[in-house]
Amino acid sequence: MKIFEIVLVIACALFVIGVITASIIRKKQGKSSCDCGGDCSHCKACMYAKTNKRQ
Amino acid sequence: MKRFALAGNPNCGKTTLFNSLTGSTAHVGNWPGVTVDKRDGVYKKCAEPVQIIDLPGIYSLSPYTPEEVIARNYVLDEKPDCVINIVDATNLERNLYLTTQILEMDVPVVVALNMMDAVKKAGDSINAKLLEERLGVPVVEISALKETGLKELMDKAYNESKKTRVGSTVLEASPLAHLIGDVKIALKGQNVANPLFHAIKLVEEDEIEVNMHKETLPMVEEFKKTFNDEIFGSDFEALVADARYKYISSNFASVLSKKSKDTTKMTKSDKADKVLTHKYWGIPIFLVILFGIFHLTFGEDLLFLGKIFSLPSLEDLGLLNEDGDPINFGVRFLATFYDGAIMSPGVWINNVWNDLIVGEIFGWLGGLVEESGISPWAVGLINNGIFDGISAVLSFLPPILVLFLFFSILEDSGYMARIAFILDRMFRRFGLSGRAFMPMIMGFGCSVPAMINTRTLADDKERTATVRVIPFFSCGAKLPILTAVAGAIVAFFGVGNADVITFAMYLLGIVTAIVCVLLMRSTTLKGETPPFIMELPTYHVPQFKNLMAHLWDKTKHFVKKAFTIILASTIVIWALTHFSFNWTFLEDEQVNESILAGISQLVQPIFTPLGFGSQLGEFGWVFVVAVVAGLIAKENVIATFATLAACLMAVAGLNFGELAIDAEDGIDAVQAMIQATGIKVPGLIAFIAFNMTTIPCFAAVATAKAELNNKSTYHWTLVFWLASSYVVAAMIYTIGSWWWTLFIWAAVCACVVCAIIFKDKLFAKRK
Repeated sequence: MKIFEIVLVIACALFVIGVITASIIRKKQGKSSCDCGGDCSHCKACMYAKTNKRQ
Repeated sequence: MKRFALAGNPNCGKTTLFNSLTGSTAHVGNWPGVTVDKRDGVYKKCAEPVQIIDLPGIYSLSPYTPEEVIARNYVLDEKPDCVINIVDATNLERNLYLTTQILEMDVPVVVALNMMDAVKKAGDSINAKLLEERLGVPVVEISALKETGLKELMDKAYNESKKTRVGSTVLEASPLAHLIGDVKIALKGQNVANPLFHAIKLVEEDEIEVNMHKETLPMVEEFKKTFNDEIFGSDFEALVADARYKYISSNFASVLSKKSKDTTKMTKSDKADKVLTHKYWGIPIFLVILFGIFHLTFGEDLLFLGKIFSLPSLEDLGLLNEDGDPINFGVRFLATFYDGAIMSPGVWINNVWNDLIVGEIFGWLGGLVEESGISPWAVGLINNGIFDGISAVLSFLPPILVLFLFFSILEDSGYMARIAFILDRMFRRFGLSGRAFMPMIMGFGCSVPAMINTRTLADDKERTATVRVIPFFSCGAKLPILTAVAGAIVAFFGVGNADVITFAMYLLGIVTAIVCVLLMRSTTLKGETPPFIMELPTYHVPQFKNLMAHLWDKTKHFVKKAFTIILASTIVIWALTHFSFNWTFLEDEQVNESILAGISQLVQPIFTPLGFGSQLGEFGWVFVVAVVAGLIAKENVIATFATLAACLMAVAGLNFGELAIDAEDGIDAVQAMIQATGIKVPGLIAFIAFNMTTIPCFAAVATAKAELNNKSTYHWTLVFWLASSYVVAAMIYTIGSWWWTLFIWAAVCACVVCAIIFKDKLFAKRK
């Protein structure tokens, strides 16, 4: 395997792990991954619903 | 930091003001109920930065729906430094009803008379000074849209926030004043904050208040015994509302001077409504508009002119060379909007994007990778695993944006609210109110905000039924599946039109939703249909800024998704198709020995009744992989096809050159699947139907879980999605393949209906 190919494999693996980790963190923070664009009220609404539920 | 809350009636312009003050791009729409939760931002032009909180719209402080509770609780519990009450100046008297209630709280208040530009345009005027004197709080004329009067408003609010204000009520002049005074003194003795507000709500027998002050209630009841009204008797809620409206009309109506004294004169909106909300023509007009939108987005023969006038193709005009390619760049550009038919704007933008931009960029990148001298497997990973997946998803950006541009125009113009109104009568027969239509139509954009918007529904059972059917309204992410499969059906089998198939699939989703609601509301979610009251907003020309903000949100999210979750999924899928269970690397030709093929082949028989299972032979498992990948994000379905296409072409000896047309990546990929598996049209339509009605993406499932707030209901919702999609897809496949099975399905449906009626009668008898 050439160096580029090793880097490619590592980069792909890191990318996949990164995406999964980020989505888990977002979920823990109560943010959604909907099509609303991210800066509308709904992400906070999701968070609000969870806080409410916890309370 | 000081906190100012924006409170007002639904659709009075709170979010527009919020965006203007904070520079946010929060979603605004011309219908009541767009905002269902509070959001905050910072205004920096005061002496110090101020936090602005945008609250959901409310008609009164006696809430009925979850989002109304949010607004009330914020003002009462979070104690903002000032409440900016936005009043729609074009509808003054009705809006002041809420103002009279906000004034009862011990909080500084400033009234913002919004839409003053519309009032002046109509030739009317409002005496703001007189209104200020009568209300006892500052009143500022503004236009949130044109951003006029905002500085003055914020300065006044800032000054007011430094003062202490004690609540006052317009009910002091009413016969109820003595009773309210007694309750207020009692509450004050208990050190209750906002005693006047709570006293009035207790007298009104407000449900939240009654639960909050149970110990005070017997005393209030004693006080009430001394009071009796000839008209309303002991209905104190009606008594208070009547007293408020009487005060408003006698004291505040005079501040408004109308240019035309003729109240029967019809406005432009009224005239438009006479046609658009007509008892009989309303729904057909809506369907024609909807078809028009789909035709303008997906139609490859605009207004069917090509067929009507038998227009010549580029080949007939001698503009293609021997290989069938355009002779020069001009012809290549011409081919994006004309080839024997004029293409709709959606298709034209799509062709320019795919042929001249995405296709060129990814083609050039792919060529660079191939010439770089790296191993064939690395070329495969980059070109087939990464580039093909992403380009297939990105190729659907134009139709999504064009479609949502049209939906945004309908929403901003005020027509969407009319559709809720005209559908109310029909919805009522199925056990839902017209209000449920708004979350459903939002479902065409994305299921997540749509499910959250069901908070505007007061009845829990109606809410559950609506949440369950929202995924049937095909969201933007499902559009690539519809477009690619429909395009492939037309290209490969030469059947029908892509726009007609897409439109029909959207209608199928709506019909499935209606049938499911009907079934749920007659069986497990039985209940009274709540009354539907909705204010119809005035029609106006959609704001360019708003339309662009909607489209920018959509683009940003779609591209972000393509380069994160979709890219990660295509890499994983490529890896799983190129490794066997003993971790040996496989060539494209060995795809059937891969981990993905092994697992998918186990599940494949389940989909046999739906037309994309065991009958598709050794490569049929690709459809199973696509369905499962679609659970992560629906765009993944086509990205998966694009990633697997290269492997299938290698192993099945396929060649893109043999395909019927040189279409976009997604359509090519589906055609490769059709060639490799031999799937027929009914199976493909069933595949679309299954993806449209099955469990939505992870984000939507998580939202449904949060919104339903009940584990059992949530679990049944998952079962419902699986069962309904399976039945719908099986029905389509079997009827499409063997027409006579229509009678079997009709008999099954009849049996179900009879069983429900019989059960109802039996239940009524026992009762």
